[in-house]
Formats: sequence, C-alpha cells, structure tokens
Amino acid sequence: MSLVEVVDVSKEFKSGEETIRPLDGVHLTIEEGDFVSLMGASGSGKSTLLNLVAGIDEVNSGHIFVGDTDITELNRGKLADWRAANIGYVFQTHNLIPVLTAYENVELPLLLLPMTASERAKRVEIAMAAVDLTNRAGHYPRQMSGGQEQRVGIARAIVANPTVVVADEPTGSLDDDTTEQILSLLQRVNRELGMTLLMVTHDADAAQRATRQLRLERGQLVENGKPILPRALRTA
Amino acid sequence: MLTFLPYTFKSLWRHRTRSLLTISGAGVALLVFCFVGSVQHGLFALTENQEAGRSLIVFQENRFCPQSSKLPQDYASTIAKQSGVADAMPIMVFTNNCRASLDAIVFQGMATDLLMKWRKLALQSGSWDGFARQDDAALVGKAVAARRKLKVGDKFTIGDITVAVAGIFAADNAADEGLIYTHLDFLQRARGLSDVGMVTQIEVHLNDGANADAVAKAIDEEFHAGPVATTTRTKGMFQADTLSDLAELIGFIHYLGFACVGLVLSLVATTTVMSVQDRIKEHAVLQTLGFRPRRIFGLVITESVVLSVLGGGLGVIGGMLFLAWSDMSVAAEGVTIAFRPSWDIAMQGAIASLGVGFLAGLAPGWQAAQAKIVTALRHA
Ligand SMILES: Nc1ncnc2c1ncn2[C@@H]1O[C@H](COP(=O)(O)OP(=O)(O)OP(=O)(O)O)[C@@H](O)[C@H]1O
Ligand SMILES: [Mg+2]
Repeated sequence: MSLVEVVDVSKEFKSGEETIRPLDGVHLTIEEGDFVSLMGASGSGKSTLLNLVAGIDEVNSGHIFVGDTDITELNRGKLADWRAANIGYVFQTHNLIPVLTAYENVELPLLLLPMTASERAKRVEIAMAAVDLTNRAGHYPRQMSGGQEQRVGIARAIVANPTVVVADEPTGSLDDDTTEQILSLLQRVNRELGMTLLMVTHDADAAQRATRQLRLERGQLVENGKPILPRALRTA
Repeated sequence: MLTFLPYTFKSLWRHRTRSLLTISGAGVALLVFCFVGSVQHGLFALTENQEAGRSLIVFQENRFCPQSSKLPQDYASTIAKQSGVADAMPIMVFTNNCRASLDAIVFQGMATDLLMKWRKLALQSGSWDGFARQDDAALVGKAVAARRKLKVGDKFTIGDITVAVAGIFAADNAADEGLIYTHLDFLQRARGLSDVGMVTQIEVHLNDGANADAVAKAIDEEFHAGPVATTTRTKGMFQADTLSDLAELIGFIHYLGFACVGLVLSLVATTTVMSVQDRIKEHAVLQTLGFRPRRIFGLVITESVVLSVLGGGLGVIGGMLFLAWSDMSVAAEGVTIAFRPSWDIAMQGAIASLGVGFLAGLAPGWQAAQAKIVTALRHA
C-alpha cells in the first residue's frame, strides 16, 4: 500500500463567469521515503495540488488517501487534528510566528499533540540540531537571516515526525548559496530521517535533488515524459 | 487554552501602544462604572436598609429643608405614648447648605442617652465621657473628619456654630459617617433663642410588629389640630422624598454606567478586530500547523478577555481605592448619601469586564476561525 494516493482529483476555481480547472483528474501515488519534486508553469496548479495533499484546501472531486485515512472525508476540526499529526508544511516565505523565538516556533506544533514537557523538549532539541540552529534557539525571526528562518521553518515542519513533509518553493526567496544549503538539508531530512517529501519548485536543479521528478501539465501529472495513469487504485 | 496564554500576551505586547491605550480606556470606563455604582448603592442603602422601614420621621407639614421645619420638642412625649411606639427622640438638624452639595455639613443634635441607644456608633478616637462633659462637644463621622482633616480636640466652625471635636466615629450605616452629632440644647441655642424648645424632627422607633403606616397616620391625626401640623413617613420614605431630585439624577446616572460598559465593548472589540485583521496570515499558518478553527476562536476570545479584564480590573481597583480614600458623599436638605467602595460593585465591575471581553471577541473570533486557509495564506 502506498503512503499517499491521489485518486482522480479535480479542483476548479470560479472567478466571475470564468471557471479554471488547474487540476483535472489528477492521479498520484507516493511511497514512503520518496522525495518528490513537482514542477510546472506558473499557474499550472502546483500549489493547489500540494495544498490538497496537505489538507488545507478541499477537492471538488476525487479522493486523497494518506495511510488509511481518506482526508477528503474529514471535517474541518478533524482535518486540523490530522494535519497536526501528519503534515509538516514548509512555506516559501517561512511564515514563522514573529512574537515567538526560534525554539518556541519549533515547539508550537508539539503543543497540539499529547506529549510530556520533557518529551517535547527532547524533540525540539533534535529538530533544532538537525537544522544546525541550536545556538539560535532564543532568537526571534526578525533577528535571523532568510536562510536561518527557513531552517527554523524546516525544523518546525519535521519536529512532530509527520507522515509527509510538503514544501512550496522552499528556496523561492533565497540566494544561491542559501538555496544550496536548504536543498541539502531537505535531502538529509529525506535520506537520514527517512521522511517522505513533496516539494514544489521552479528550479530544475532543485528538482534534480529529489528522487522523483513530476511535472504538472494541462491539469495532469507527467513523470518521465509519460502521464501518470490510474493504477489499480483504491476506490472510495 | 492556558498553554497558549504566553502567545496571547506576546501578541498583545507586540502592539503594546494599542494594547495599553485599550487597557487604559477600559480602566477609565470601569472606574466611572464603579463610581456610578457606589452612588446608586449609597442611595439604595438609605432607602432600603432595615432601619429605614422600622423607624419614622415626624416633620413639619409641607416643609422640606431642615431649617424650615419646627416642631415643639414636647411632641415627643405625646408620640411616645402612642401604641406601637418604642421611643420618640427629638432631633435638631442644622446644615450649612440645603441644596445638593458634595461638602455639606450636617449637624444632628439629640439627647446623649438616645444617641447612645439608637445610633450604633463605634468611636475611633475620643470618648463618650469627653462628649458628655462639654456643652459644645461634637462627635464627628469619620468621612467628615477625613474630608475636613479633623481630630479630637480641634475646634470647628461652620457659619455661626463652633463645636469642639470630642470623638470621631464609624457607623454601620455609611451615610451616618457624614454626620456630626451634638447635644440637643447646644444646637437649639446656637441658632438663637427662638429655637429653644423647638426641634426639626422627631425620630420614632417602632415596637416589633407595629404597623408603620398606621402609627404614622395616628401621629399626623394627633397633631392635625395642634399648633403645628406634621407629616410622618418611614425613615426610608422620608429620605427618598427629601432626595427625590437627587435620586432622579442618580437614576439617570445609571445609564452612564451602561454607557461605560458599552464603551469598553466597542473599544475592546475595535482593538480585537484590528488584531485579527493584522494576523489573517498568522492565523492561517496556525491552522496549517493543525490548530482547529475552534482553537483560533478561543485564542481571539482570550485576547479580548485579557484586554478587557486587565483594563477593567485596573479600573475597578482604582475605583475602589479612590472611593475608599476620598470618603465622598453628597448631601441635600440634611440627608447624606455616602459613596463607599463595596465588594458588590467590585464584583459587578469584574463580571462586566469579563462579559464584555467575551462579547467583544465573538465576532472577530468567528471571522478568524472561518477564514479559508489558502486564501488567508495568500494575504500579504
Ligand atoms: N483562491 C483562488 N481563486 C481563484 N483562482 C485561484 C485560486 N487559487 C488558485 N487559483 C488559480 O488556480 C491556478 C493554479 O494556481 P496555483 O497557485 O496552484 O499555481 P502554481 O502552479 O502554484 O503557480 P506558481 O508557480 O505561480 O506558484 C492559477 O491560475 C490561479 O490563478
Ligand atoms: Mg504556487
């Protein structure tokens, strides 16, 4: 059984008279330990797909299974609980909470999970060490560089040991050196921590760091030049 | 919810100017709320307390200001013989200001034995002996003493009356602490010979079970054809009638109390709406991390409750301290209303702050909880 199964998912937006359908019957399976990159033209629906997998947006039709759960069936409250336990989200613009220190930002998702304070502290330490920011624990986001902020963002995404880490253009607003740092970090998260990653990017070099490269074209996913077709998939 | 309290405080601190302005606004409003409450409380205390219904005041018919009511002192012995009457005490009242005033001085002259029997005074300084020994001695309520900075041994002059302070007292009834008691004959003589043998009013204490209205009616009938006709009312009624103009005003001030609460509501709600609008994206990030919409709602409510309770709490504490320290009272026509701090008012203020904080957070909290995550994340 695959870790993530996206089954015949469509998503459309209405703006006035016009309806656009960036995802039109998308199929995708992600295995545990995959590092999947997703490219495509601007406006092709990459972020939309990623947000659906992350459970922060709703499909118009189709199903998304993560593990045993069909997340398209969950209500808003249940979906939030599910995200807390299963999703790590890395934003392009970091989106750290400005009034919290690096440490507190990383700790935040753990406060939603049943856990003792000492267990929480241990996990935060490990995540901070993984992104090599132990010495910045007490710093506020405004006191850090963009690259450091993004490392905190990654620590926050991995700290709860989620089922899937999603990253929407994680290097989109960083310079080349920092981009390199962040990509290596994500690669290590995948290889050394064994986490499953889905990363949207515009950068072909970045995409090469992943174990699988996908493209979104005309509402469908393409891998190795061939459209991804429905396999012997679960049906709802 | 307590887990995220530090986050709430940090968020408020981030916009500290805005938060402090809101807190101080809420504080001032609640201070006024407490003040208004204590004014009303003082009025209620006069008209509602036990004694107010169990004693009668006999006054000259159709007279209002104590200066104009004159009854023969010996009416008291006639009244004392009526059935249902336990005691009748003639009282001379003098005030330097018959109109409503924040600094009116009210003297009551009465026989020492009756004073000791019917007024539950606790002397804070001075002695009953000292009072009894001296003709011009006076027992001064602690509120007047504080206002006029009087202590035992001082001479104190108002108009053409000069008394020697022989004691300072506290009383069960806060309004009594705004009075000065003297000997009856001293006050009668002080205003010239014409007042000897005359008093302003007669206070009648009823036996248990006596019907106050029936006794009052019997007294008025007794003197109907006498040299001076009387009007007899329960003490509560008498005070309510005497203060009717003020009472109307105070009833109106009541709305000021509501207005204060409304003010805090709009103030805190405005700040909370601004805070939510500032953080549309932040709340979306929190939701992405797994915060339930309900928790976002709770965070917003917590924030508005903290603002309102901090401000309101400071206002209530400030109001209570001010009331305790100022010993303020208002008097009209010889009757005083004391403005005292009380737990009742403090509790009302605290509950109002809490309720207002909650109400103020409802709409913005709902808005924050309902926001669509992806739309909000695109927010600049
Ligand atoms: N909330 C929305 N309302 C209307 N249209 C939307 C909304 N969200 C996305 N779209 C449209 O859906 C399409 C796909 O958007 P999406 O953000 O997924 O593209 P993308 O591939 O991530 O683009 P980019 O590379 O520029 O980030 C775009 O045409 C976009 O304008
Ligand atoms: Mg995008």
